[in-house]
Amino acid sequence: MARLVLQRLAATVPVLLLVTAGVFALLHLTPGDPIDAMMAESADATAKASLRAELGLDRPLHVQYVAWMGRLLRGDLGHSIRNGEPVLENVSRRIRPSLQLALLAMAISLLVAFPVGIASAVRRNTSVDRVGTTFALFGICMPNFLLALLLIFLFGVTLRWLPISGYVDPAEELVDGLRSLALPAVTLGLALAAVVTRTLRSSMLEALTEDYVRTARAKGLSEWRVVRGHVLRNALIPVVTVLGLQLGTLIGGAVITEYVFALPGIGRLVVDGVFARDYPLVQGVVLLIAVGFIASNLVVDLLYGLIDPRIRHR
Amino acid sequence: MTVSRREFLKASVVVVGVPWLGLAPAAAAAADPPRKGGTLRVGFYIEAQTMDPHLSGSKIDRQVYHNIYEPLVTLDTRLGVKPGLAESWTQPDPKTLVFKLRRGVKFHDGTDFNAEAAKFNIERMKTEPKSVRKGEVANIDTVDVVDSHTIRVNLKKPDAALLATLTDRAGMMVSPKVVQERGAELGRNAKGAGTGPFEFVEWVRDSHLIIKRNDAYWNKQGGPYLDRVRYRPIPDDVVKLQSLQSGEIDVMDYVQPRDVAAVKADKNVVVVDVPSLADFAYQLNLTRPPFNNKALRQAVASALDLEQIVKGVWLNVGVAANGPIPPTSWAYDRSIAPIKRDLAKAKAKLAEGGQPNGFTFTMTTNNIPINVQEAEVMQAQLAEAGIVAKVKLVDSATLIADGNNKNFEMISFQWSGRPDPDGNTYQFLRTTPGTSFNWSGISNPQIDALLDRTREISNQAERRKLYSELTKLLQDELPMLFIIHPIEPKAFSPRVQNYEAIPDGMMRFKDVWMR
Repeated sequence: MARLVLQRLAATVPVLLLVTAGVFALLHLTPGDPIDAMMAESADATAKASLRAELGLDRPLHVQYVAWMGRLLRGDLGHSIRNGEPVLENVSRRIRPSLQLALLAMAISLLVAFPVGIASAVRRNTSVDRVGTTFALFGICMPNFLLALLLIFLFGVTLRWLPISGYVDPAEELVDGLRSLALPAVTLGLALAAVVTRTLRSSMLEALTEDYVRTARAKGLSEWRVVRGHVLRNALIPVVTVLGLQLGTLIGGAVITEYVFALPGIGRLVVDGVFARDYPLVQGVVLLIAVGFIASNLVVDLLYGLIDPRIRHR
Repeated sequence: MTVSRREFLKASVVVVGVPWLGLAPAAAAAADPPRKGGTLRVGFYIEAQTMDPHLSGSKIDRQVYHNIYEPLVTLDTRLGVKPGLAESWTQPDPKTLVFKLRRGVKFHDGTDFNAEAAKFNIERMKTEPKSVRKGEVANIDTVDVVDSHTIRVNLKKPDAALLATLTDRAGMMVSPKVVQERGAELGRNAKGAGTGPFEFVEWVRDSHLIIKRNDAYWNKQGGPYLDRVRYRPIPDDVVKLQSLQSGEIDVMDYVQPRDVAAVKADKNVVVVDVPSLADFAYQLNLTRPPFNNKALRQAVASALDLEQIVKGVWLNVGVAANGPIPPTSWAYDRSIAPIKRDLAKAKAKLAEGGQPNGFTFTMTTNNIPINVQEAEVMQAQLAEAGIVAKVKLVDSATLIADGNNKNFEMISFQWSGRPDPDGNTYQFLRTTPGTSFNWSGISNPQIDALLDRTREISNQAERRKLYSELTKLLQDELPMLFIIHPIEPKAFSPRVQNYEAIPDGMMRFKDVWMR
């Protein structure tokens, strides 16, 4: 187990090198310049030139990359050009709402997807199944921004049960915090629930046709025990894979939801950073997101072993 | 909602001409005495960038600054310059400005505002490596302290627009003690730094920024009344508007044209039309075909129907432009009409330019909905004259890069405007080596001479004549196509009273109170 983890960690080094070099090159090849973007209303060439020199942006690209890597090896991700704060500080402030939102959305999706998915598979081709698959289709087709606006209109504007936008940290004020995250978490959670429902249903249907299920039934096990002990457990692998991949997407890719609900998350940080051509910020955040993806995939691989002893690593 | 150009001009006269009415929300409640207290919750489209006015490059920062900091001189509702931290000024010769500073003014940290502090601030703007103000104060050579409350500003060359520049960030005074003790930290924490009617309290990044009433404010007339102002970023326009309608915020900085009619019909919201200083235009690249050909520029101008664009795209939230100077300015000449659509003339000009069957060009514009709509309408109008416009959509950083590198044929340029007409003209039209906003590459001795002259004389009536002459010249020369001077409507909860709209769009809350 420890060896596996070490092996996997060693394999991340080239991946991260590739990611940083790729992001660095892409960002610098994109037309536009951070100083022009920041001082959009100023044509003052001398001020811009001195600011560029101050930030080291006038040096050749490879020199900038090497300097950046050098600082990175010392654990320094640099400072955001736009707000002058350390990149790490920007990220640590923004990662909290993103993580909370992702976990809440995931919890909502599991609460919805498991009953619906199991019922759909077990009662295949009945009206229960049709309601379940229709729900899943709806959840996949519904664009996030539209669902978000509908939820805001219903619960924020019409019923006034929940705040329309903004973020309160649940770690500081539990009730207000959960209220502020409720609508965005439902927005993201429903879409994810749809994906999970479909995955769970199809992998359960496959497992239901296996010989060992027939054997289990022949042994006289109750249907519930067959489903729980034999079908569900074997059907979980694809679901865990999907969840692992989606967790990364939920943390880094919930841009639209964060935007609509004015949540200060990591996704908006990157997108705003790209628009501002805030090189150090974008490079730093993408690097950290890549690390996050690799970590969550590692966790998924370890979970496989827990679920299915056959793939337990030695 | 239909407002003709004439009605709009009349309305802007009312808005800018009757300051004591205290505008919109107040009108109904003129009899009520102002009430102290309350927290005003303001929704902005993005977050502030820095609390240091000398390092700020973001428009949104100024919204906060105008409540905690004060400039040497300020704007009135007609864009005239009135005393601020300087109670008077004289100009003994065109290259010298003498400011008498107000006595008894203290920064929020308790230190005195005086001549030394003013000198410190101007010199900081000129020398601090990260200063974004360098260009604005470039014409200032040196500052002398004459006595404890008098400074003499020596200019490198005459600059009639400098006073108006000092009404904003370039004139804002920060406590020297705070700058020296706090250094870069001032960017996030402006406690004690200003002299204004409100004091900085806290800024939780990505969440909110709070300022509170300065009870020791030097000006005892009127406010400040509000206990606190709480700013929050809400990036989505629809959500921001819903937040106002449901009472989560009391003020929003800008209402999109598409929402104006609906919001005006909502009794729970008061909309104030703030005519702006802006001109939204396109620059034409004069350094290469097709627009190095003047007749082809004129053909495009004659093929466009500005009234239709203002009505159809901007839903009349603005007025067709006759040039760079907006109707809010004293230099605006209402006798000059915007260029009228004339397809016969467009065809004639095409023939004159050697392209009787029309030609094809690319217009570069921002990838935001209203710009795309405008581009599509222009495309359709030009097509009727046989001119084919291809639209290239870019993000704003790319737009600026394309402009600076003259990598365009026609490019959108939406300028927020400056109180002095110089800020809407000189940097776009004067021959300049190197980068500037003169993206079109125009270099016209007659225009250069006019622009230089407007800086040298300080008599407003004479400057106005020069700007009229310039506007007419631009309608013929056409380095830029001026489309619209937009209105920038702001929306308030009906509880908000006594907001005074100044065309620079900044929300100064000194005299605002809540019912």
